[in-house]
Amino acid sequence: MIGLLGTLNLAARSLQTQQAGVAVTGQNLANVNTPGYARQVLDISSSPDLLTPIGPEGTGADAAAIENIRSNILDQQVATEKSVTGSLTAQQQALQMAETALGESLTSSTGSSGSTSSQGLSQGLSNLFNAFQSISSNPSDPSQRQSLVSTASGLASQFNQINQGLSGLRNSLNQTLQSNVSQANQDLSDIAQLNSQIVLQQQSTPGSANDLKNALQQKIEALSGLVKISTSTDSNGTVNVSIGGVSFVTEMTQNDHLALADAGGGQLLVQPQSSGAALSLTGGAIEGTIQARDGGLATLQSQLDRLASNLITQVNAAYAPGFSSNGNTGGAFFTGNSAANIAVDASLMANPNLLQTSGTSGNAGDNAVVLAIAQMGTQAQSSLGNQSFSQSYSGTVAELGSAISSVNDQLTTQQSVANLLSTQQNSVSGVSLNDEMTNLTKYQQAFQASADVVSTVNQMLTTLINMKTG
Amino acid sequence: MRVTSNTFPNYLVNQLGTLQTSQARLQTEVSSGLSVQQPEDNPDAMRSVLDLTAESQASTQYQQNITQLQQTATAGSSAMQSLQAIVSKAGEIATSANGVQSSQQLSSYSDQVAQLIQQAAQIANTQDQGSYIFAGTNSSAAPFTVNTNSNGQVTGVTYNGNQSVAQTEIAPGVTLSAQTVGENTTGSGPRGLFADSRSGADLFSHLISLQNNLAQGNTSAISATDAPNVQKDEDNLAYQIGANGATHSRLQASASAASAQQTALNGEISQQSGADLAQTMLQLTQTQNAYQAALQTGGQMLKLSLLNYIQ
Repeated sequence: MIGLLGTLNLAARSLQTQQAGVAVTGQNLANVNTPGYARQVLDISSSPDLLTPIGPEGTGADAAAIENIRSNILDQQVATEKSVTGSLTAQQQALQMAETALGESLTSSTGSSGSTSSQGLSQGLSNLFNAFQSISSNPSDPSQRQSLVSTASGLASQFNQINQGLSGLRNSLNQTLQSNVSQANQDLSDIAQLNSQIVLQQQSTPGSANDLKNALQQKIEALSGLVKISTSTDSNGTVNVSIGGVSFVTEMTQNDHLALADAGGGQLLVQPQSSGAALSLTGGAIEGTIQARDGGLATLQSQLDRLASNLITQVNAAYAPGFSSNGNTGGAFFTGNSAANIAVDASLMANPNLLQTSGTSGNAGDNAVVLAIAQMGTQAQSSLGNQSFSQSYSGTVAELGSAISSVNDQLTTQQSVANLLSTQQNSVSGVSLNDEMTNLTKYQQAFQASADVVSTVNQMLTTLINMKTG
Repeated sequence: MRVTSNTFPNYLVNQLGTLQTSQARLQTEVSSGLSVQQPEDNPDAMRSVLDLTAESQASTQYQQNITQLQQTATAGSSAMQSLQAIVSKAGEIATSANGVQSSQQLSSYSDQVAQLIQQAAQIANTQDQGSYIFAGTNSSAAPFTVNTNSNGQVTGVTYNGNQSVAQTEIAPGVTLSAQTVGENTTGSGPRGLFADSRSGADLFSHLISLQNNLAQGNTSAISATDAPNVQKDEDNLAYQIGANGATHSRLQASASAASAQQTALNGEISQQSGADLAQTMLQLTQTQNAYQAALQTGGQMLKLSLLNYIQ
């Protein structure tokens, strides 16, 4: 028999247990909106029974532990999906910026025809060949020469500007990579530090590092958004991190750092600081940025260069044998060899009368050269895959559009997956106000009941004492 | 599934975001009338629209080229009409001279022919938009040089132009010239207007010969040589006028074809890129309703928890 005093002791411990329950509930309520927080529950267990002649007699209950409610599988999946989302988001941003730099969009004119018109290089290419057409129908008109030179110069500037925009984008993607890599290194260092804090804290009180584990999971998710990682959890709760098969964090030690190395021509790739081999990344914003830079953006730049270079070569080849009104021949119409440096010949810009329109010397009305160039506008070019200049360019635009459209679709699906997983993670680890308010009431009522037990035992003891004195 | 305090707000935020994105897209479609604006909206349609727009703009240019050719053909036609009147008059004089004995009369005829030669020479150097229309491609200099004697009579006319004509594209790969060369005695290429070896025409030589034979009273030579020669010139001119008319007809047909093609192309562009307003408006209304419903229910549910009922 535990007797009245034992019962009093039981009730007092019950008060402490219910109080701990209120404290845990309070902690959960305080962190209801804290990102990465996993709800805690108070593990209450009965005290050992006391064997009596009438059977085992209870000795009350104790607060055994405060548990963090997390699902390791869900946590790992969330981190994995963050890598996929990070990669797709980075690709989408980079390719959409390339789309903006290209400036090829459709507008609906408000004129009476209400027709659709395109902006950008496609318009410039049409304008160039139409200007050659105009001058071919009236080769001796000086105003047509001026107009042709201005139109061609406008097209060359468009090529230059787009190239400048795309090169600028490539540079800013490299800058993004640098800031992402330094953030990833910071996260790796934080993970190693959290691991050591967890080990330290759990040495004295095993299973006590709940909030540190929450912070660790948050860091892992943040790092996964930047770069796809593999993790393994040790029995002491620490997490080991490797990237592309290379170990970066083992328990409390950060083994390596991420570094960027130029593989040539500003092609920055990620590698471990300790070795020279580029890491094979499979997800995360860093991988997405590299993929967009070396994939969609590089293709776009090379296709524009191919278009500009073919335009320069073909137009110049037809133009060079021609004769100007004053008998000059052998000049170039365009100078340069790529989208970056295409320009109308400087002397022609200064004096449009040098335009070599004629196929024979001294015949001002001869339009053989300008007609041949004008006809190129609709002719298939073998060097452009048997497409005309305009068709080749619209193919380039469509290819970029397809790349973005594909990433958009993938991202939409990925966001659904990520949202679903996040909802599931929240379902396990999230705080519910209703749950906590119910628990609060539950612990409050139990506390009151235990207090009543104390009060009752007290009255009983008083009765006993009064019996003796009375 | 356990629904926590943040499950519903997170879900609501995602849902509202999706609906707002849809609304923005649909609203842009309605206001612009275009279902495709950026390449990513519909890459295939974008490609078609860019290709069709390039074709449409080329078609517009072909129409402008045709207009330019029509202008050249009209200038040629008008000169040929005037020339026909001159040659016809010369033919009449050659016929009338036969049997006239009066040297005064013949001399008067000769003066008239001299005038006709001057007029023809003037027509031969007709300019249109700064170019000599009967000079071939050597169009910056007057094609015909007139030599006169001390009496002001034309003694010879030299052709300085060439036998080439400038071609202009009027449809993809189809070129046409509305030019007529002044002379062609090479036997190949475009036929000459004033002199052509294939038709035997040589207007200035024949008129000068007529003028000289009239002045000299050599009526037998007029009837034997000059009258048939002038007839050849008339025939050649009739051929050129006919050819010019054919060019006009062809240009007109090409202009109609280019215009019809452009209408068709614009229709296709509109079909590829235009928004179906009725359907878009319907979708927009549906999305707006869903958005309103989400806001209303979300607003109500966010405020409710057990807290509202615990005293």
